[in-house]
Amino acid sequence: MASMGTRRVLTAGMAAAMLVTACGGATTTPSPAAPSASTGAPSSAPAASTSASTSTAPSASTAASTPPTGGTLYLLTNAQQFDQVDPQRAYTGEDMAFFNGTIYRSLEQFTFSSDFSTAAKLTPDLATDTGTATDGGKTWAFTLRDGATFQDGSPVTCADVKYGISRTFATDVINQGPTYAIQYLDIPTDPKDGSSMYKGPYKGTGQDLYDKAVTCSPDNKTITFHLNQPLGDWNYATTLGMSPVPKAADTGETYGQPGHLAVSSGPYMVDSYQTGNGGKMVLVRNPKWNASSDPYHHAYVDKWEVDFGLDPKVIDQRLIQSSGNDEFAMDYPAVQPENLSIVFKDASTPNDQFVGRALSGMDVYARYLWIDTTKIPNVKIRQAMAVALDRSAMRKNLGGDFYGDYADGLIKPTVGLDYAPTNLWTSLLGQPIPDNGDAAFAKTLIQQSGVAAPSLTYDFPNTPTNAKNAALVQSSLQAVGFTIKLNPIEPGKYYSVVFGAGAHEFGPAGWGADWPNASTVIPPLLTKKGGWDLSRVDDAAFNAKVAAALAETDRTKQSADWQALNVEAVQNMWIIPTFFGLTQRLAGDKVGGVYLWGPYSSWPYGDMYVKQ
Amino acid sequence: MILLLFLLTVAVFLLFSILPGDPARLTCGKSCTPDIIEANRHRLGLDKPPLEQYEAFIGGIFFGREFSEDSPQPVICNAPCLGYSYNRHAQVLGLIVNAFPVTFWLATGAFILWITTGISLGILAALTHGRWPDRLVMTLSLIGYSLPAFFIGLVLMFFVIIKWRWLPFPSYVSPFDNLGQFLQTMLLPWIVLAVLYTAFYMRLTRNQVLETFGEDYVRTARAKGLPERTVVVKHALRAGLAPIVTAAGLDLAGLLGGAIISENIFSLPGLGSLSLNAVTDSDLPLLAGITLCTATFIIVANLVVDLLYAVIDPRVRLGS
Amino acid sequence: MTTPAAAQRPFLSVNNLSVAFPTEDGLVRAVDGVSFSVEKGQTLAVVGESGSGKSVTAQAIMGLINRKSAKITGEIWLDDQELVRLPASDVQALRGDQMAMIFQDPMSSLHPFYRIGDQIIEAVQVHRNVSKKQARRETIDMLRRVGIPAVERRVDDYPHQLSGGMRQRVMIAMALINSPSLLIADEPTTALDVTVQAQIMELIASIQDEFKITVILITHDLGVVADVADEVAVMYGGRVVERAPTSVLYLKPEMPYTLGLLSSIPRMDKEMDRLDPIPGNPPSPINLPAGCVFQPRCFYWSQVPDDLCKTTRPELLSTGPDHLVRCHLAPDVRREITAKVLSELAGVPS
Repeated sequence: MASMGTRRVLTAGMAAAMLVTACGGATTTPSPAAPSASTGAPSSAPAASTSASTSTAPSASTAASTPPTGGTLYLLTNAQQFDQVDPQRAYTGEDMAFFNGTIYRSLEQFTFSSDFSTAAKLTPDLATDTGTATDGGKTWAFTLRDGATFQDGSPVTCADVKYGISRTFATDVINQGPTYAIQYLDIPTDPKDGSSMYKGPYKGTGQDLYDKAVTCSPDNKTITFHLNQPLGDWNYATTLGMSPVPKAADTGETYGQPGHLAVSSGPYMVDSYQTGNGGKMVLVRNPKWNASSDPYHHAYVDKWEVDFGLDPKVIDQRLIQSSGNDEFAMDYPAVQPENLSIVFKDASTPNDQFVGRALSGMDVYARYLWIDTTKIPNVKIRQAMAVALDRSAMRKNLGGDFYGDYADGLIKPTVGLDYAPTNLWTSLLGQPIPDNGDAAFAKTLIQQSGVAAPSLTYDFPNTPTNAKNAALVQSSLQAVGFTIKLNPIEPGKYYSVVFGAGAHEFGPAGWGADWPNASTVIPPLLTKKGGWDLSRVDDAAFNAKVAAALAETDRTKQSADWQALNVEAVQNMWIIPTFFGLTQRLAGDKVGGVYLWGPYSSWPYGDMYVKQ
Repeated sequence: MILLLFLLTVAVFLLFSILPGDPARLTCGKSCTPDIIEANRHRLGLDKPPLEQYEAFIGGIFFGREFSEDSPQPVICNAPCLGYSYNRHAQVLGLIVNAFPVTFWLATGAFILWITTGISLGILAALTHGRWPDRLVMTLSLIGYSLPAFFIGLVLMFFVIIKWRWLPFPSYVSPFDNLGQFLQTMLLPWIVLAVLYTAFYMRLTRNQVLETFGEDYVRTARAKGLPERTVVVKHALRAGLAPIVTAAGLDLAGLLGGAIISENIFSLPGLGSLSLNAVTDSDLPLLAGITLCTATFIIVANLVVDLLYAVIDPRVRLGS
Repeated sequence: MTTPAAAQRPFLSVNNLSVAFPTEDGLVRAVDGVSFSVEKGQTLAVVGESGSGKSVTAQAIMGLINRKSAKITGEIWLDDQELVRLPASDVQALRGDQMAMIFQDPMSSLHPFYRIGDQIIEAVQVHRNVSKKQARRETIDMLRRVGIPAVERRVDDYPHQLSGGMRQRVMIAMALINSPSLLIADEPTTALDVTVQAQIMELIASIQDEFKITVILITHDLGVVADVADEVAVMYGGRVVERAPTSVLYLKPEMPYTLGLLSSIPRMDKEMDRLDPIPGNPPSPINLPAGCVFQPRCFYWSQVPDDLCKTTRPELLSTGPDHLVRCHLAPDVRREITAKVLSELAGVPS
């Protein structure tokens, strides 16, 4: 629901990685969430359309027969290590998908399915059900299953879950992770700086406040959360950074790192972890894991090995060859641009030899242009900007078909239920708008606006691709009468500039939902208290509808609400949707369970197996 | 020497203190709020005045220090403590010590390769000055010189590993654990690294030796009636190769600081990879530690080279 | 070619020797048809400016010119061996043994990395099968003989620890260590202080007396020749332009170039207003003039009819007993010029 913090923003590292992926070069950060999120540059804003070529993953686990067990699966990554292994600190989509699928259990998890809508639904993991909301959504209770244990055999109790979550409050030690607990638990904040009065379990300051906000039943089986506002989807928030940690094993800063390996609650445990080039993380079966307590994890394979520090091009070559152990390997970063034509016929179809082990599907990011609605209050002018935009040239510049599909709104099909076509580019504005823009229609809209086409400045992070895109924005908008100035910004400072007083009229941005609910999209991007409102939208009527949608506990009704709000947003052209990013993945030919898993746009680790 | 090292620590410290970019912000992550940045600043010790930070840094080297005091298990960094990388959750010294053997094997292997081939081909060229072996060697040198390491590396990798499959994909192991795999992994990096240096040393050797061939004392040696072989080996080469010792010593020391390109192409977990990753991650403590170590190598190498030169050249030893 | 009987030949005789180096700019004729001879025990001084070919001639005799990089023609007879056609290894065996050489710059002619004693011992052992101990003893004796003080201590010094004069003495000791019959001294004093110069020349003279060896003294300074040499060959542009016994050359030179050299000798015995260096520069060995190579710098060529000096190379012709001159000027004209110039030098008004 209403989320205040910055969510899965398209970060500097990510933007770089994505753009490079699209136009040819090596990625240095394999993961969508590079650690330098706060200084992130956006992706350049590309074009939009409704051609949502949804992941055409060969669905592997839909067969009725149970996949075989045993074997080892390998992950090949160019990263030197995991950004974080600590369950309260990991915040990279692929990493969370991997850990949650192997070593960590969580109250709730996303469902394994190649279908985005199904995958977006919760499956209870540690909890017996998807949680019970009372008090209009201000209080949430979850009951823990019997038989769940840590790798030392001790049972996972409410206290362990509660302790794990409490670590998030120790922001001086446990940083970089999701902070929903801080935002939504009913704990007073310091009026001076807005920080929580609870300082985490290490300092212990405000422990009584936390103990009131999160309570355990006398049998240590039921955990109850008291929130500071009604939240219809707090159970979704529990998928992020709320796994249990046994207090006795907590080493704080070093928890999960080599020498201080994380304690598993899942079907696998960390056997060894060395970082750097040539380093490995090896997961073996957790002998104390009790399958009957865990209907969520399939745990088909016996062993997982993550190989660090490999050149991305080498990873591609090994997977293309798929010989030896590489038959059982899969990429952790995406396929490099120069190899896409080897693996794929087109943006959605693998070449014959790669069918069943190559994927091209949506990543979690929607890209758009924000427009400062206080500087450009006239909706017709904003629409004219969108109509004039040559999105096809921008897409070509960004990498063409493989880069992404034309976006028709902020909600991406990966969000699942909440996505519905907005028809923005086909009929929403009264007539279809071609991908390369419609100058005549744009001029008509300017006439209808009753004002002259204004002079605008386009802010953008100064990378080669973004600069080229900026020129495309400039030329296509100037063709219909706008005067466009370009303002290149040092990539690392882009977001701090455009959020500050130095922002001009419009610029590119990108956003990914934290969980498959548009509550992590519409409110942060389009309401003042959302925290990522680059367009400076503050519309009282809209805010009221958002609040209603957030409080809606009927998920079907809520979906309809979000869909309508998405349409309203593009109709008002508060943002110009440009692209739904694509990602391309490749696995060896003996890897089973190959499909793009919507919630993290990742491999479905907990559902993968070795083919016989 | 000690003074130099001291000045080095000051320089490194200043360099990394005044660098743009706020480490506290860089390590803050996605969900970054002002209070979290403040917490980070405190955690990194950046809220203390610079002099105090420097004292802590130097104090760490001599007496060790503690990081992340608020953590249930503070990170104890024993002397000599070069700092703690919050990106990697590891002590800088430990990271360097782990990476160093890889770089050491890479550098020394390549060093032996290029010194032997470079010097022998250089001598060959000098002895056949103006004739075809000389021209061949000089052409090879020019080619070797103009090929960027990453290009040779990728080409070799493509043909030898990917296309022809003569060698498996590189995966570093210690030579003491699996010598075969070690050699298979290191062969191409050695060659790649050696190509550039061989090109340089062929040329250097040739020019040095040719220069000494023109020296009066070589003519004297001939006038004594010494056989040509003695003239070349004992009189010309001995003097001609002395300056090469200097170059070789410094090059080796530089390489011990990490061969960034080769290590990355072949996924070798050495200091070069480590520093590159430190740069891309803006991991300032690690970067400072590596810089300090590399600079120390070079200072020490300078000293060793000077001593070695004194052994070779009595003019240096005895003063002229 | 018939080989003359050994008895009829001088100890060293150079016949029509030419040395040419092919370079990118063309063939450098450093030495072009040089002939001279020296009797056993005699001293021949070869005099000329730098670039006259005198050092190349000396190195050709020693076999120090790389036969691969230079074209050497003519004959060099040492005793009864012809060196130009002798296999390089045989010449090498003679070098440092039968014939030895000392060089202009004693600073750079000794190897900086080796002790002086060892450098001499090396010369002994390469030619004679003697023990290191014996070689060292001989070395010490020889160093003492050439005037090195405190020899026992100095013998293990490195070259840079010695003065220039001492180093040249070491070079001389090294040259003499195998009792050569021919010693070539190439500008042995040029790099030394004036006072030391005299000592070294004295040493060479005394050695010659003592060892009865044949000496070729290469110099650009006609002044040092007078006391030492029996005969003088003046070289210019790679050729011998005048050859005469020392006394004859000093008193009755006939070649204008020799006159020029004599005029440029500073004299201690009389006050002089000026030295008369020869104006102009030596010819480039690549583009030699078609006529007399000295013609461009000669004051007197216009006294020869028909521009003969510009068009025709003069031959080296006899003009008196043992006196050869290469000049188109008529003999009486030459003598008249000489008399005039020498009297001017002597201060007698003409």
